[in-house]
Amino acid sequence: MPRSRNVFYGFLAASLLIAPAGAAQVTAQAAGSQSTTPPAPKAARRAPTPADWAALGKLPDFTGVWEIPLGGGAARGGRGAANRTGGGRGPANAPSLTPEYAAKGQEQARLAAKAEDNPSANCLPPGMPGIMSQPYPIEVLMTPGQVTIVTEAYTQVRHIYTDGRPLPEDPDPSFDGTSVGRWEGDTLVVETAGFEPVPRGISFPYSEKMKIVERFRLSDPETLNVETTILDPLALAKPYEMGNRIFKRHRSWTIAEYVCEENNRNFVDEKGKAGINLANPQASPK
Amino acid sequence: MSLMAGGTSLAVAHHSAAVFDASQQKEITGTVKKFDYSNPHTWVWLDVPNDQGGVDTWGVEGMSPNFLNRRGWTRTTLKPGDKLTITIRPMKNGEKGGMWITAKRPDGEVLLMNGPIKDAN
Repeated sequence: MPRSRNVFYGFLAASLLIAPAGAAQVTAQAAGSQSTTPPAPKAARRAPTPADWAALGKLPDFTGVWEIPLGGGAARGGRGAANRTGGGRGPANAPSLTPEYAAKGQEQARLAAKAEDNPSANCLPPGMPGIMSQPYPIEVLMTPGQVTIVTEAYTQVRHIYTDGRPLPEDPDPSFDGTSVGRWEGDTLVVETAGFEPVPRGISFPYSEKMKIVERFRLSDPETLNVETTILDPLALAKPYEMGNRIFKRHRSWTIAEYVCEENNRNFVDEKGKAGINLANPQASPK
Repeated sequence: MSLMAGGTSLAVAHHSAAVFDASQQKEITGTVKKFDYSNPHTWVWLDVPNDQGGVDTWGVEGMSPNFLNRRGWTRTTLKPGDKLTITIRPMKNGEKGGMWITAKRPDGEVLLMNGPIKDAN
């Protein structure tokens, strides 16, 4: 990474606080509307011009199908690297929790130790950032003003708006959150906020103020690096670096359908007890 | 899993292995009754003769079609009537089910679900 991490976080902090001028205007108009009048409509998206389409060709080409290699350890930058700082270049990195959330974390750990599984067994998608480290591929699409990520696991879609709009102040919570992105040279910086309280691959307690920052960059045309950092002013004393996830390109692959509810025989109940329903094999749709 | 590890296990997309007995392997030999080439898991339903002169139907959970397609499997790799010996990780609770580890046909062909990817590019 060209700049030091301290500078990186300073920049992040500033960018999260300061919205683009045009965007701030839209927000002010919305905030100024009275309760008796409908809220100001969202700014319509400008129709893309031929120049907008041509401009895409000057960006790094993230389009295509990518997967984190199965069985890849930290040194190979595979799945095992996800919890390592910088993809195996440093020691495992523990989140620094605030005292309040450290106490919550102990209770969460006690419950997690008893639970045999998490709600994904019932087909709920893992949400961000867990959806970005599944053992199945993703597909990235680039169109004017938007980068779209389709995940094969759970057939999820992430819409990353790159048209300059700010991250909404208080988005409704969702599994994958609400995302905006901006280009810093050859790096796509994506900020995501607004999360349902589901496990989502984070084993520490987080607040509704959590933001996830991802930096997408090609180290070569076949290798996509995603550095993921979690910011949470209530839960984390300092940003938590999840490390660098390294995706390999697969030019011959396509994304398959994965409708988890199709024939799910696994389950976990509200007490965390897991099981399998083996009854009635003929009931499955295939 | 320690609280401070930061992430969860990343190798499994859908569910944990808590229902299976990690210390045990079991071989079951029988005839394929049905092959569900379905998400989030494939299921092989194997009719296995029991001690009472009858047949028990065992349910064996396997990897998902997206994963298997890339490793050369299709929805017709297993057909009703196929003879098969499946090595499973049995269920802890003694029910007639388990997780697919490997399998062998009578002619010796080994069927792996986690074999090499056919087209790695």
